[in-house]
Amino acid sequence: MNVKAMQKKWLELGVEVEETEYAKTGYDFSLTLPAEKVHALAEVMLADGFYLVFVTAVHALPAIEVVYQFALASSPRCRVMARTAVRADGTVPTISDIYQGANWHEREARDFYGVVFAGHPNLVPLILAEEDVDLKPLLKEEKNLKDISALRHLPAEAEPKEEKAPAAAKKEPAATDKKAAKPQASN
Amino acid sequence: MQTLNSYAPEIIRIVMAVVGGAVVVFGNALVMGYMERKLAGHFQRRTGPMEVGFHGLLQLVIDGIKLMSKQLVIPAKADKPLFMLAPIISFAPVFLPLLVIPFSDRIQGFDLDVGLLFVLAIASINVLAVLVAGWASNNKYSMFGAFRAVAQNVAYEIPMLLSLLAIVFMTNTFSLRGIVEAQTVWFIVLQPVAFIIYLICMVAETNRAPFDLAEAESELTAGFHTEYSGMSFSLFMMAEYTNMFIVSCIATVFFLGGTSGIPLPYFEYTGIIWFLLKVYLFMFFLVWIRWTYPRTRFDQLMNLCWKYLLPISLVNLLITVVVVKL
Amino acid sequence: MNVDVIEDERQHQFVLNMGPQHPSTHGVLRVLLKMEGEYVLDPQPVLGYVHRCHEKIGEYKPARAFMPNTARMDYLGALIYNQGYAMLLERAAGIEVPRRAEYIRVITSELNRIQSHLLWYGAYLLDLGAFTPIMYAFDDREHILDTLEDICGSRLTYCYCRVGGVCKDIDDKFIERTRAFIERLRGRLPMYEKLVNGNIIVQKRMKSVGNYTPELCARYGVTGPLLRAAGVEYDLRKAEPYSVYSEFDFEVPTEQQGDAWAAFNVRYREIEQSLRIVEQALDKLPEGEVMEAKVPKKLRLPQGDYNCSVEAPRGELSYYLVSDGSDIPYRIKVRTPSYSNLSVVPEVCKGMMIADVVTSMGALDLVIPEIDR
Repeated sequence: MNVKAMQKKWLELGVEVEETEYAKTGYDFSLTLPAEKVHALAEVMLADGFYLVFVTAVHALPAIEVVYQFALASSPRCRVMARTAVRADGTVPTISDIYQGANWHEREARDFYGVVFAGHPNLVPLILAEEDVDLKPLLKEEKNLKDISALRHLPAEAEPKEEKAPAAAKKEPAATDKKAAKPQASN
Repeated sequence: MQTLNSYAPEIIRIVMAVVGGAVVVFGNALVMGYMERKLAGHFQRRTGPMEVGFHGLLQLVIDGIKLMSKQLVIPAKADKPLFMLAPIISFAPVFLPLLVIPFSDRIQGFDLDVGLLFVLAIASINVLAVLVAGWASNNKYSMFGAFRAVAQNVAYEIPMLLSLLAIVFMTNTFSLRGIVEAQTVWFIVLQPVAFIIYLICMVAETNRAPFDLAEAESELTAGFHTEYSGMSFSLFMMAEYTNMFIVSCIATVFFLGGTSGIPLPYFEYTGIIWFLLKVYLFMFFLVWIRWTYPRTRFDQLMNLCWKYLLPISLVNLLITVVVVKL
Repeated sequence: MNVDVIEDERQHQFVLNMGPQHPSTHGVLRVLLKMEGEYVLDPQPVLGYVHRCHEKIGEYKPARAFMPNTARMDYLGALIYNQGYAMLLERAAGIEVPRRAEYIRVITSELNRIQSHLLWYGAYLLDLGAFTPIMYAFDDREHILDTLEDICGSRLTYCYCRVGGVCKDIDDKFIERTRAFIERLRGRLPMYEKLVNGNIIVQKRMKSVGNYTPELCARYGVTGPLLRAAGVEYDLRKAEPYSVYSEFDFEVPTEQQGDAWAAFNVRYREIEQSLRIVEQALDKLPEGEVMEAKVPKKLRLPQGDYNCSVEAPRGELSYYLVSDGSDIPYRIKVRTPSYSNLSVVPEVCKGMMIADVVTSMGALDLVIPEIDR
């Protein structure tokens, strides 16, 4: 699957696409989209052969953020993090009709955060007991709550990064040399 | 038999038969219980019971005391009279087939003319006990176990009887003693197909692995005896072991020449020693395959019976009849 | 339990409650089976019996203090969970790990994977009613546990990895014992094949049970041996070569049929591949430190979110961490493979016989604490 073509598809949907550095974050693309577009994105993702890694939520200001992770089950990896803010009425459209695996993940997010996934076929507690429907245990206290911008990666500053990169590069060959030398010595 | 017939009055004969039956039932349960645990241990590269007595010989006695002292738990919504009755139905009839089995040329309770039919008729009562146990427990797993047991036992009785009938045709008698005496050559040589069919049916009839669908531990927890504890459970166990003993006796009588064997010097009771050796050979076989094979699925089990064993045993019977009549 | 027949459109349907205490659910999993005779119409797993709130605990203590918790999620793949979490923090904080430590992590992780697969092998056959293989498998597994106990100090819930390396170097005795174990297991695998894998009852029980396709796996997020049994050659050790896996020569076993028998074979063959990796790692083991010295006492993670995915014995394990710049994570999410793998049960096991449900749930290789976290 061509990465450029996929990126184009996402952009056509009206999704903010940001390429991230895998070595630093552990994923390749960060997509930010409004809740209305979630369903359409999931359809595109499934068509492109992505599987659903997880759906979860992060409690932040101004609204709870729902995070989806998709990955490509093939050898040139492609790991995509998609995030959307919960709408004012506390709902996000479900993707469990496209990715059936999302069913349980969404129910779990409903248990822990109270995010209502609109259109979910069976939004009853999965982990929690039935009498604890409104417990929402993973919601943060007021004083611990952070703004969503405080949880985003800071834009990489050119200066320190460039300094760091050669240092790492220098270290790498040294280590490999050592390793290459070792078996010879033992032989 | 002659000793018994001519010298003892009838009442003593009955008492001796009952006592003898009880000795065989309980003695066999002890021997088999120990043998199975020890063999299972060695099949699995461990030692089995070692703590109580020499190499765990008294383990079964200790277990017996434990089982007897345990509380009998009756589920709240169980059918109490039937629930208590089921182990008794299962255990009580196992004495009867022992009466007609010729342990040696002297030791036999009665020599019935219809010995084989008698044994099979009594043995099939066990199915009723399993069904009652499953029903009365008011537990879905038990019900499953009972249903499976009934379907399985009813199905496997047919090829079992057909394979034995082939031998009845050859000997012209239902009497077990008559069959033993008719064997100049062991019937395992003359009837190998019947022997194999009987062997398979024997495992299925006693509900042992790989055909232990009625208990099916990993599917139905413990099948029909899920709710039984203490002595009521051990009655089922003893009935199972005695049934194993009986089917092994039948196999010995029909296929391995019963009491025949090389005469042991200076010993009067050669017959019973050979007989019990052969019986426990079959028992060893039953234990061996239990700890070796996984369980079959229910439909596979039924397919095996209706699609393979039944036609083959019918053909075998037909060929036997034709050959005998020629 | 009471026989309460549901007043459905069909009177003879009933609900069988399998679990939470049932021999073949491998823990406190409960499955509600809507049955008609022997056939299961609608299996619905019920979770939450051993939920221990690991994710919530993670938000209350310094990021590196969460390490022991990771081992408690999947008690069979604890070292792999350790490794994944350590890699996540190293990735977030930009810490380099000494090569020797990476090699040791790989060795211990692969040993852990082998013992997990061996336990599954025995337990799965126990599910099918074969009592004996589990004893043989445990016999072999015991050697791994003893070996790991010597360096990790525990037998099941390890906490061996640290941020920046591993807590203790391995010694010659460990290497010797591991090599001896590789020899031993290589000698035993043909015996397993002869005793079990060729058995006709085993094959008949497993073949054409379950029907996994790549498409189904994508929809449910099924990963690991089940995905490979459906014919997709996807192993995170190859697809996203983390740690030093790219330096080893090993194969990713795949099968095409997508049934329990295929999954059985894939897992079984993975044992051999893991042995290969361990052997190569022992051969190439570099000298040096096992712990990066410059790891700060108070590990502040730069703000942002981080992800780290590793191949656990049961599939893809992902840690997702959101940091607000302090040393305490803002949010930790653990994506465990069994959770997604189990969610496929309602679709795959529909219409099966109860014995086949047991077979196909055994093929998932469930570890319940990992599902409930």
